[in-house]
Amino acid sequence: MSHVSSSAFGRSSQIILNVYLVIFFAYMFLPLILMVVAGFNDFDTPSVTTWKGFTWKWFGVLAQDTRMWTGLINSIMIAVGVILVSMPLGLAGAFMITRFQSRFNGLLYGVMVSPLLTPGIILGISTLIFWREGGVSGGLFTAAVAQATYISSYTMLMFMARLKRQDVTLEEAALDLGASHTQVFRRITMPFLKPTILTASVIAFLQSFENYNTTIFSIGGSHTLVTEIGSRMRFGLTPAVNVIGIIFVVLTVTFATIYVIFREREKKRAAAVAG
Amino acid sequence: MNSLRRSFGPILSLVIVVLVGVWVIGMIVGPQLIMVEQSLWNKEIGGDAAMNSTRIDRLYNEVDTLGFDISDAEALAESPKRTEKIATITAEIDAKKSTIKELEAVEIKPEKIYSFKNYTLMGASHFFIFVKTIGAAVAVTIIAFIVCYPIAFTVAKVATPGKAALIMLFLIIPYSINELLRVFAWLMILDNNGVANLLLGFMGFDPISFLGSGAGVFIAMIYAYILFMVFPIYNTVETLDSSQIEAARDMGAPTWQIHRKIVIPHAKPGIAVGCIMTFMLSAGSFAVPNIMTRGIAEPWFTQLIYNKFFESSNWNVGSAYAFTLVIACIVFIFMMMRFFGVGIKDIAK
Amino acid sequence: MRGMDIELRDVSIRFGGFTAVHPTNLKIKAGEFFSILGPSGCGKTTILRMVSGFLNPTSGDVLIGGKSMAGIGPDKRPTALIFQSLALFPLMTVRENVAFGLEMRGMAKGPRSDKAQELLDLVALGDQGEKTPDELSGGQRQRVAIARALAVEPAVLLLDEPLSALDLKLRQHMRSELRDIQRKTGVTFIYITHDQGEALTMSDRIAVMKAGVIEQVDTTDLVYNAPSTAFTATFVGANNMFKGKIKEVSSDGAVIDTKYGLLRGTNPKNLSVGSEAILFVRPEKMTVQSGGKKSDNAIDVKYERRDLEGAFVNLHFLQDGDKFSVHQTNVNLKSHEKGESCTIGFDSKAGMILATGELADE
Repeated sequence: MSHVSSSAFGRSSQIILNVYLVIFFAYMFLPLILMVVAGFNDFDTPSVTTWKGFTWKWFGVLAQDTRMWTGLINSIMIAVGVILVSMPLGLAGAFMITRFQSRFNGLLYGVMVSPLLTPGIILGISTLIFWREGGVSGGLFTAAVAQATYISSYTMLMFMARLKRQDVTLEEAALDLGASHTQVFRRITMPFLKPTILTASVIAFLQSFENYNTTIFSIGGSHTLVTEIGSRMRFGLTPAVNVIGIIFVVLTVTFATIYVIFREREKKRAAAVAG
Repeated sequence: MNSLRRSFGPILSLVIVVLVGVWVIGMIVGPQLIMVEQSLWNKEIGGDAAMNSTRIDRLYNEVDTLGFDISDAEALAESPKRTEKIATITAEIDAKKSTIKELEAVEIKPEKIYSFKNYTLMGASHFFIFVKTIGAAVAVTIIAFIVCYPIAFTVAKVATPGKAALIMLFLIIPYSINELLRVFAWLMILDNNGVANLLLGFMGFDPISFLGSGAGVFIAMIYAYILFMVFPIYNTVETLDSSQIEAARDMGAPTWQIHRKIVIPHAKPGIAVGCIMTFMLSAGSFAVPNIMTRGIAEPWFTQLIYNKFFESSNWNVGSAYAFTLVIACIVFIFMMMRFFGVGIKDIAK
Repeated sequence: MRGMDIELRDVSIRFGGFTAVHPTNLKIKAGEFFSILGPSGCGKTTILRMVSGFLNPTSGDVLIGGKSMAGIGPDKRPTALIFQSLALFPLMTVRENVAFGLEMRGMAKGPRSDKAQELLDLVALGDQGEKTPDELSGGQRQRVAIARALAVEPAVLLLDEPLSALDLKLRQHMRSELRDIQRKTGVTFIYITHDQGEALTMSDRIAVMKAGVIEQVDTTDLVYNAPSTAFTATFVGANNMFKGKIKEVSSDGAVIDTKYGLLRGTNPKNLSVGSEAILFVRPEKMTVQSGGKKSDNAIDVKYERRDLEGAFVNLHFLQDGDKFSVHQTNVNLKSHEKGESCTIGFDSKAGMILATGELADE
């Protein structure tokens, strides 16, 4: 029984709670709805208060926007780079923490998760300064490195969660049967981690793609899709930005729904197995 | 190191150690140290040398201005007067350039001087902005906790499984939409011609400049980061055995006591994580103030940092400001750990 | 502390389309140790949660001490519930746990600490008050849960399989301890279990439950010696079974026609001739007959093996794919060989003929 039986809380508090939820979700969704509506307004600045009629034209305007397209390509390039860096780093960190017993373990762990507790702009700034010392100025490379600093912490935590459920005796059994360490790694450890590598890659990609604070401080003169959106919001704002919003909303709703359905199914399966 | 070798053998162990080294030293600790180092020095030049540098700078400016004059003159119609004018200006530029060369030849390269000066440079106005930023972040954190705790508790313990899944979906959707776009939605609401002022107008009030007053930043910040409080609290409350709540109720505990004595003590690690995340995101947010101040409201601390780096190109002072923000976050994290009595292992789960 | 009586009047509970408890009437006397015994999923926990107030009946009424409990929440009822998981608060000390209910009632710190000490003494944990529940053993945690529930001076204590997490030895020890506490306090105990041993050793009376229906309510002796349905007969204790049709009915019993011939037994339910029935015989009431002379109620079987249970041995016999079991006290045992032909039998007073019905699958 995962939830508390209804009579543990009075009926009146149930009603209050329901009203509260409705207000909260209205607060969460109304602004997004306004943003979507303004994307179809035939008016030069994003607005719902001045309605000039329905139009699809901002989709066309966005499709013609070359800076947006280069931003998208840059975003994807950075995200791929981040995956390539954060997978091995996160994996190595997770192995180190789960398998390396030493009194520095706690400190090491603290350092490796610290990027998650550091403001994004600081990661951007410090990476920029660090690489300038080495003669590399801000660009896609520094942006990818800065993002990978904290995204590796995410992937590490995901790998750690998976490794905690691993039966270490499997590896020992394989070694006992004469496998080399490399063979054990390839045949036992990696297959076990495979599903996590997949989900961690998706998370890493999304985190990188969505990032603004770290990127804007480390990308120098280049731009990503998200930093370009950011600068459009300050200068030259048109409903084309709302169209991007519409695209993001549609994608998010789709994937979030799939995710929740998948999660519920997993939960039910787990419950069925448990009894 | 032996434990690692036993699991992976010498070669893989070495790879693991090297990768962790690159990450920890080359990406986390190294850049932080360089940033701190940068914040601790500045280039100073004293006496004549300083005057010399100032003169060079001034001459460069003059050359630039003369450049504009030339292009102005070139825009005129062809005439002897125009030719003469261009010649005069060109001569003048050449003269100044040769002076610059002479002066630069004797210019002394400035030296790094280490001091805490960059930290003390922050004037009263910037310090006020710092305090305002931190204060707003604390306020966002408190509001987020008050708003989100009932929701996290509802999803974890009260709602039936089907309803809980639906609420979860409604939380995940706004949570996953890019923060810029969510903030942008509020720009449309709080703009002078926006929805909020339209509604105020209907009710017979004068329009309020939400954006100009900086209130816009605060309102959008609450909206942007409030959901970061829900999930950590949900994750810990969910692990609470529901019979604990029922047992407390059975023994006569009123609802508020159940929360005070049973649920909140159990959820402490999650609450601490939620508070740290919300505070850190708010205090370190560049997206929200950058969009919501629109250059009309007073800047936020992150904007000051940005300006130091990318507008006035004073990286030393910028680093000092940035590190000040880091310290504020570290202090907040330690305060939360003490207040909730949790360790770093509980937090980073 | 004084126990109160409980009455269920036409109570039923439905979850959506599923009826967890069919309309039920039940009276539990004040100060009684009452067990509800049944397999998992039979609705016994549902009844307990309804008495405690965590569930509202779909129809009918629950009365405690003669008063209707409709609309009264769990915190306002004179009941205390001991959860299967115990639900001790892990972040509080043992003493704080025990004193929790008193604190919630606004009792000052001094008195409630004294009262908690008194209760901890009652459950023999007087010196463990400053520990946290995690630092105690399973049996000690059990006793803390009891002390905590008793602290609020309930008239009725509801126990939801509280011993299920303990190992066998401890479970047996805790049975007598629970019984003692119940006697000492005089509180009405309603004890939920699927373990017939627990129910039989501790209770005054037992309700046997199956699929949302109470099959029988009786004293422990009657539930064991005079089960009223085939389900009760097989769920409480072991039985040898002979299926067949009733051939003859007389004043002192009936004769049932089985594949092992005609067998005679009692007919407590007054079944009529021709009805499908099962004759049940407890293993301890069966005997292995010596000599070739065939008496009444004799069955030819093949010896299979024996299990030594300590005080007695359990002899297993086989015939036509049916299994039979005979208990003999561990005195002057005769040995048999596997496959040896034997005759087993029983006194006709030991055979109980009951209507065919669903059996407990154990």
